[in-house]
Amino acid sequence: MTINSIFLMVLTGLQLGAIYALIALGLTLIFGTLGVVNFAHGALYLIAAYCAVFAAQSLGFGLAIVLVPIILFIFGIAMERGLIRFFYQRPHTDQILVTFGIAIVVEEVLKWMFGANNIPFALPSWGAGQVLFYGLGANVPAAIPGIRVPMPFLEGFAFFPAWRLLLIIVTAVTIFALFALLQFTRFGLVLRAGMRDPEMLRFLGVNVTIRFSILFGIGAMIAGIAGVFGGPVTQVSPTVGMALLVPSFLVVVIGGMGSMLGALVAALLLGMASSFTTGFAAAVGDPTAKMALTALQQIVVYLVAVVVLLIRPRGLFGKKGIFE
Amino acid sequence: MTIAAEARPADAVASAPAPFFAARDVHAYYGESYIVQGVDFEVREKEIVALLGRNGAGKTSTLRTIARAAQPSLKSGEIWLGGMPLHRMSTHEAARAGVQLVPEDRRIIPGLTVEQNLIVAQVAERPGWPLAQIYEHFPRLAERRRQDAITMSGGEQQMLAVARALARDLKLLLLDEPYEGLAPTIVREIESILQEVKRIGITTIIVEQNAIAALQLADRAVILDMGTVAYQGPAQEVLDNADLRHQYLAI
Repeated sequence: MTINSIFLMVLTGLQLGAIYALIALGLTLIFGTLGVVNFAHGALYLIAAYCAVFAAQSLGFGLAIVLVPIILFIFGIAMERGLIRFFYQRPHTDQILVTFGIAIVVEEVLKWMFGANNIPFALPSWGAGQVLFYGLGANVPAAIPGIRVPMPFLEGFAFFPAWRLLLIIVTAVTIFALFALLQFTRFGLVLRAGMRDPEMLRFLGVNVTIRFSILFGIGAMIAGIAGVFGGPVTQVSPTVGMALLVPSFLVVVIGGMGSMLGALVAALLLGMASSFTTGFAAAVGDPTAKMALTALQQIVVYLVAVVVLLIRPRGLFGKKGIFE
Repeated sequence: MTIAAEARPADAVASAPAPFFAARDVHAYYGESYIVQGVDFEVREKEIVALLGRNGAGKTSTLRTIARAAQPSLKSGEIWLGGMPLHRMSTHEAARAGVQLVPEDRRIIPGLTVEQNLIVAQVAERPGWPLAQIYEHFPRLAERRRQDAITMSGGEQQMLAVARALARDLKLLLLDEPYEGLAPTIVREIESILQEVKRIGITTIIVEQNAIAALQLADRAVILDMGTVAYQGPAQEVLDNADLRHQYLAI
């Protein structure tokens, strides 16, 4: 196990965690404010990824990056106004059933329209290469194209796909923008107050409903960003929504229901756990250990969940009384 | 048909001066339970009315119905404030029309500072006193503006709850148990704040377990019993009439 492979495992962990984080943030944002467990959040990712494929083909990737989040924002508001709002006063099980229903309908409609298989989602030419990281005194052949980043602790040099690095950066920027919106704007102040006591805000003349609706739109928009940037990495097929929803929901539970910071930490934790098990499985020589690690790779995410929830039943940053 | 319905309040103005605030045969339910059973009373401008009655008489429910809270739900009746039909409004619309409820338990928003609690009150249309004016009247709040509001004492939180209502352009102040859970010295402090509210001339309905304190502040009393108005008259009369107090207030 070299420093280079550990470095790459960390980057891979960040990239896996980034997709989980984007989806889990939307989930926890909607749960924390509206109290709705949105099992259709994976379906929003799915819609975003399919929209992105066709927008990229017809209008170019640059425009797809701008358009898809906007489309999802509008779609999110339409979904909240058209269906979800009728379930605020109903039990969580009803909410889960209806949002799960939406997820199944979306999945089947996409299957019917575009088939059950992966559809190709080609990276734009500007995002297709590899980024080269090099250590002190590394002798990098001048012929290697692309971006070069010095990383003093590396031995020689290492490559990481540029697109996956971009995904990490976009996620960081999105998370920062969301935190800034909630912490430093008046809109965010009202939302935070509305999460704590929506009725009191109404007594103060605030139309909480419309703000929560916009917030649902923002949650969907984040799924949109995840779909455009994550689509080429996760692939685009009708089942990918559900495949991502399960670990993302685990992220929310591990982080503590309704806690955004918790979701972030948990997303990183799961990303790293996945990446490191895969990395170790590839690195060990002993065949029995390799087999065990390969098997562990399939369940490591759930194993982390079990351990965390045994020690902290409300999750890392969970508060008493939420979803109980 | 519509014209006739809309002309009605105007007719009322023509015959007699319309009251500033009026609840007309108001019926409201908490789910299946029938709580407010035809409450009917008026409040004149700048008047302070003590809304009294035993536990479960429907005082808080009446205040919440006037503030157009989702619960209890208004089934029938009309509520008018300065010519505006509150009964046709949602909670936030009623607040924008000038109703300010200072609820039981004060409902200070946790996780927000004192100042943020006040700012949140000024987000919607027609804010009232600017922060500077509030701090001038409530120096204690000015000192604690950056403190997490929920960590303040009960009296300070009550102060903030009243200040938050003044941060809105209010026409009718609804006070629900402003003295509840406060030590006697703090009660006197809140009393002086409410005296000032009276001096400014804010029309107020006050619900209070401590009926004597409420009556000393109020011009008139409305006593509820079993969800309807059992008595209304000058506050002094209730203070003077021991039988009346005994019958409806058990004091």
